[in-house]
Amino acid sequence: MNLSKSQTNVLDISSPYISRLARIERVARVTEKERLFNLSIEDGKTLGHLPGQFIMLSIPGFGEAPISISSPPDKGNRFEICVRAAGNLTNALHNLTKGDRLWIRGPYGKGFPVQDIVGKDLLFIAGGIGLVPMRSLIKTVLHERSSYGRMNLFYGVKSPDEILFKDELLQWGKAGNINIQITTDKPHPEWKGHTGVVTTLLPPLKIDETKTAAIVVGPPVMYKYVILSLGDKRIAGHDIYLSLERRMKCGLGKCGHCQINSIYVCQEGPVFRLSDIRYLREAI
Amino acid sequence: MKYRFLLKKGIAVLIAGLLKEFKVYGPVKKDGFPMYGNITAPGDLNLLHSPTHISPKQHLFPQRETLLRFSSGEYPAVEPVVEAEEQALFGVHPCDIHAIKLLDRVFAYGTADVNYLKRREKTIIIGSNCIPDKYCFCKGVNTMTVESGFDLFLHNIGTGFLVESGTQKGKKLLLKYTKTRKANKGEVKKLSQIQNQKKEMFVASINADASTLPLIYSGSYNSPVWERIGSICYGCGSCNLVCPTCYCFDVRDDIKLNLKEGERYRVWDGCMLEDFAKVAGGHNFRKTRGERLRHRFNRKFQYQVDKFGGLFCVGCGRCSRTCLVNINIAEVTNELIEESNKRP
Repeated sequence: MNLSKSQTNVLDISSPYISRLARIERVARVTEKERLFNLSIEDGKTLGHLPGQFIMLSIPGFGEAPISISSPPDKGNRFEICVRAAGNLTNALHNLTKGDRLWIRGPYGKGFPVQDIVGKDLLFIAGGIGLVPMRSLIKTVLHERSSYGRMNLFYGVKSPDEILFKDELLQWGKAGNINIQITTDKPHPEWKGHTGVVTTLLPPLKIDETKTAAIVVGPPVMYKYVILSLGDKRIAGHDIYLSLERRMKCGLGKCGHCQINSIYVCQEGPVFRLSDIRYLREAI
Repeated sequence: MKYRFLLKKGIAVLIAGLLKEFKVYGPVKKDGFPMYGNITAPGDLNLLHSPTHISPKQHLFPQRETLLRFSSGEYPAVEPVVEAEEQALFGVHPCDIHAIKLLDRVFAYGTADVNYLKRREKTIIIGSNCIPDKYCFCKGVNTMTVESGFDLFLHNIGTGFLVESGTQKGKKLLLKYTKTRKANKGEVKKLSQIQNQKKEMFVASINADASTLPLIYSGSYNSPVWERIGSICYGCGSCNLVCPTCYCFDVRDDIKLNLKEGERYRVWDGCMLEDFAKVAGGHNFRKTRGERLRHRFNRKFQYQVDKFGGLFCVGCGRCSRTCLVNINIAEVTNELIEESNKRP
C-alpha cells in the first residue's frame, strides 16, 4: 500500500472512523505524569468543540482512546489536550514531540451547556485530572467573566506534586476573581494548605443555592460524596453538572463500553445534569 | 395466495442458482455440530431444525472486521475499508431474522455504521422454519414467527416447501431459479397445523407476557438472583459470542513487521469479560460477575428496549445452550417474574 497525503480525503467514503491529521505544536510538562499538548489540525479547519466534549485520539499502531479537550472553544485550528501516561496509547503519546503527527476525530458527546449557567454563581469541584476538561469550561467563562456571579473552585489532589496548571490557577484566582482552594488527600511535608478530601472544603462555604450551578469533574469515587455535600448546600439536581468517565472504543454509540443502563455516555454525555441521571442506577 | 409450493428437490436448484450471484452461507454440520457455514455446493446445506451454535450475525457483523488501513510515518495516511459482497444467508430461523432486524436499528442509529449497513444492503435473507429444542423460548418473547425482514421464507411442510416472498428481490429470485406453483388449500392448512403443533413443543417458557419484562427487570435490580448466578458464572463471555443481538466490539490496531503499515479493526467484545467497563485509571464500573450478568440480561430485556424498542432477547436459547455452568436465561427470567409477583 502506498498512500499519499492527498489520498486521505479522496478515498473518504464517510467511514466514521476516518480521522483528521493533527500536528503537535508544543509539548509542556504539567506534572511528572501529565503533559499538555498543543495541537493544530492539518486541514486548517476548527475542531469546533464545546467545553466538556472529547475527541478520539490515535497514533497509528497504538490504537485509539477518548481524550477530553482542555482548551476553550476556538475559531482557529488549534486546541489543547492534557494527558496522563496511563496506557499503551498515552505512553506512546508522551514519546511524541513537536512536529509529530497524530490522528483525531470528533468532537464527540455533549459538553457543558454554557448558556444555561450564564448569570449564575459557579462552584467548580475538581478531583485530580478532572481539572483537565474543567479547564476548558473555566477558560470559557473567564473570557466573559462579567456574565457570571461569584466563582469558587475547589480542587482536590492526592499530593501537592499532582496539582495541574499551577500558574494558571494563580492567574484564574487573581485576574479571574475565582476563590480557589486546593486540598491534598493526605498530609505532605511540603504542603502548608488544607488537607482532606475535596468535600471537606465545602461545609464553611456560603452560597446562594437559588443561583448557584455546581460543576463536578473527578475520579469515579468522588461523585457520590460530592453530590451528598451539594445536597447539604441545597443545590438542586438540575443545577449540578457532572462529567462522567467511561471506557469508550468508538465514540459513536455502538461499541457498548460506555453504556450506563439504557444510555451511551459518548452520545448523551459525558456531561450530564444530575437530575437527568439520578434514576440511572449505575451512573454514580 | 401468498404461498408458492416448491418441491423438496427445488431447494438444491435454488441454491445452485443463488451460487451464481451470491456467496451463500447456511446451516451445515461441522464435527457433528450445527454451524452457520459457507455453502459451495447445494449438497453442503443441511436445513436444520435446531438453532446453529453461532448465529448468522457473523456474516453481517464479522467477528473481526477491518475498518481502516493506514501507513505511519511523518504523514500518517489512512484509507477506509468497507468490505461487502453480495451474499445470501440461507435457512435463517425466525429468531435470527428478528435479531437482524434489531441489529439494523442499532447500526443505523446515530452515526450510521457504514461497514454494517453496506454489508446488510448486499445481503439477501432466506428464512426457514424450525423445531424448538429444550432451550428455545421464542414463543415467550413473540419471535416464533416473522412477518418481515426476509427476502424469501421456506416453510417445510413435509411434502415440500411453502415459499413466502418478503421482498420483490426475493420474488424475482424465486421466479428466476425455481419452478413453483400456487400452494393449494390443503398445503396451507398443513402449514397452520405445523405452526400450531410447534406451539405445543416448547419445553422452556417465559411465565409472563413479554411486554411486562422490561418492568420486571427494572424492578429486579436488587434481586439476590444476580449475586447467586454471578457466583457460578466463569465470566467467559461465551453467551456474548453466541448471542444474535450482542454487538459490542473493541477497536484495535495491528501493525505489520515493517512498522510502516497496518490496519485498524474491530473485534467482538463481551460485557461479561472482566475489563469491559474498566477505565485507564483502573476503576471497573462492573467489577463483579453478578453485576456484569445483570447488565447483560438487562440489555436484552430493558436497556436496549428503552433505547431501540423491541426486546433484545429473541429467545434462541443460545446463551443457555452454551453456558458452561448452565445459567439459563429463561429460567433466570422466570425466577425474576416469580419474585416480582411476590412483591407487594
